[in-house]
Amino acid sequence: MDRRIKSHPILEFEGEETVTFYFEGTPLRAKPSDTIASALIANGIDIFGWTEKGRARGFFCAIGKCSSCLVVVNGTPNIRACITKVKEGMKVERQIGRGMPLWEEKQ
Amino acid sequence: MKEYRVCIIGGGIIGTSIAFHLAKLGERRVAVFERSYISSGATGRCGGGIRQQWSARMNVRLAMRSVKLFERFEKDAGFDIEYRQGGYLLMAFTEEEAERFERNVKMQREEGLDVEILSPKMVKERYPFINTENLILATFCQTDGHANPHLANFGYAFAARRLGVDIYTHAEVKDIIVQNGSVMGIESSIGSFKCDVVVNAAGAWSKEVGKMAGIDIPTTSYRHQIFVTESLRDFFPFMAISFDGNFYIRQTKHGQMIMGQGDPNEKPGVNRNVTYEFLKSMSEKMTKIFPFLENVRILRQWAGCYNMSPDAQPIVGCSKKVNGFCYAAGFSGHGFMLAPAVGEALAELIIKGSTEHVDISFLDIDRFEKGEVEIEGNVV
Repeated sequence: MDRRIKSHPILEFEGEETVTFYFEGTPLRAKPSDTIASALIANGIDIFGWTEKGRARGFFCAIGKCSSCLVVVNGTPNIRACITKVKEGMKVERQIGRGMPLWEEKQ
Repeated sequence: MKEYRVCIIGGGIIGTSIAFHLAKLGERRVAVFERSYISSGATGRCGGGIRQQWSARMNVRLAMRSVKLFERFEKDAGFDIEYRQGGYLLMAFTEEEAERFERNVKMQREEGLDVEILSPKMVKERYPFINTENLILATFCQTDGHANPHLANFGYAFAARRLGVDIYTHAEVKDIIVQNGSVMGIESSIGSFKCDVVVNAAGAWSKEVGKMAGIDIPTTSYRHQIFVTESLRDFFPFMAISFDGNFYIRQTKHGQMIMGQGDPNEKPGVNRNVTYEFLKSMSEKMTKIFPFLENVRILRQWAGCYNMSPDAQPIVGCSKKVNGFCYAAGFSGHGFMLAPAVGEALAELIIKGSTEHVDISFLDIDRFEKGEVEIEGNVV
């Protein structure tokens, strides 16, 4: 499912989907210029996590303020998908409720 | 003119605890005067730790009584204050500190406090998220803990109000009327009030309030800063503190990590601005000892004032020079945790003339004249 805007009256979107990252274990393609959020949305994924009460959370303010899009990246919780660029081989997971911090033994 | 038996200056945890305990003893002609709002001073800005591991024996006794009262706070005041007996981990990073801790634990155990001494290896096993490098030893007391200071302050205020105490906020006391060596009343921004007893629980401003009655309260206020991080899952039940490492850290019920340190270069005076230097030095130090903090973002920082006494112990009692002038000040950064026991003791002293549950005579202002001063070392 491709949800990218192909033509826009003012903006141009450059680059090819050359980056591979993993969302909940599934390999996905992204442009080098994508944030985690834009890459997920381009891949048809709108639910980035769940609250402790089981409500869905996703893209909201888009500027790193609202904490709605928090995901777990390579084991580190509370990463804001909207302002973090996607990287080759990155492992992104949905965050459920508050994040559990990492320490050595767990890594 | 309205008349009260006791007027309390300061609507922090100390003032409201005294008001609550006075009302509980049956004295309802009590008023609290708060210049700003409830918990606007040091109470609402503090770390919220509740600790019994002190270096001075009398402080251990006082703190143990406080913990007893915190344990039944919800029952007494009808208010959930997020009280949690998750323990308190005291960390020593120098040999001198470790020796001091061992001596303290011996004394604390004599007082009936259950304190463990932990090697760095034991600390690591229990709490793998702590970097135990350079740690010499730690002591741990499970019945220590923490609570939400705002809720505790409001808990006492609401409970006191229900019992008939008047609580005036945004009401500043301008002067204390003393005639022939006795307190007659107060002048405030909301009018004059007659009373027999005035209690100085003004925290950072205790010295200024003392002057109104002509009593010199030997306290000095110093700024201390704290910052708080975003929320994490509940995994850090205890409060960790180090005196030689100069820090304390705890997790709130909501999951945020709260931490602070003292600054030896801080100038005296009431200053509640924040600095970048604090953020930098604190976060550098804390990410070394608690490496998981490296990926945790800071939400905000704030400052409050310690009201320091010359020996870092509170000054509590009733004046022998001005009849009816009592004080509970100079808590030196541990007023929140002592508030229940001190409020109870001072209320007993005012109503009955002597304390029943815990002796606070060692906290009287006389000690500075007599020179009987034991400096409390366990403060950040």
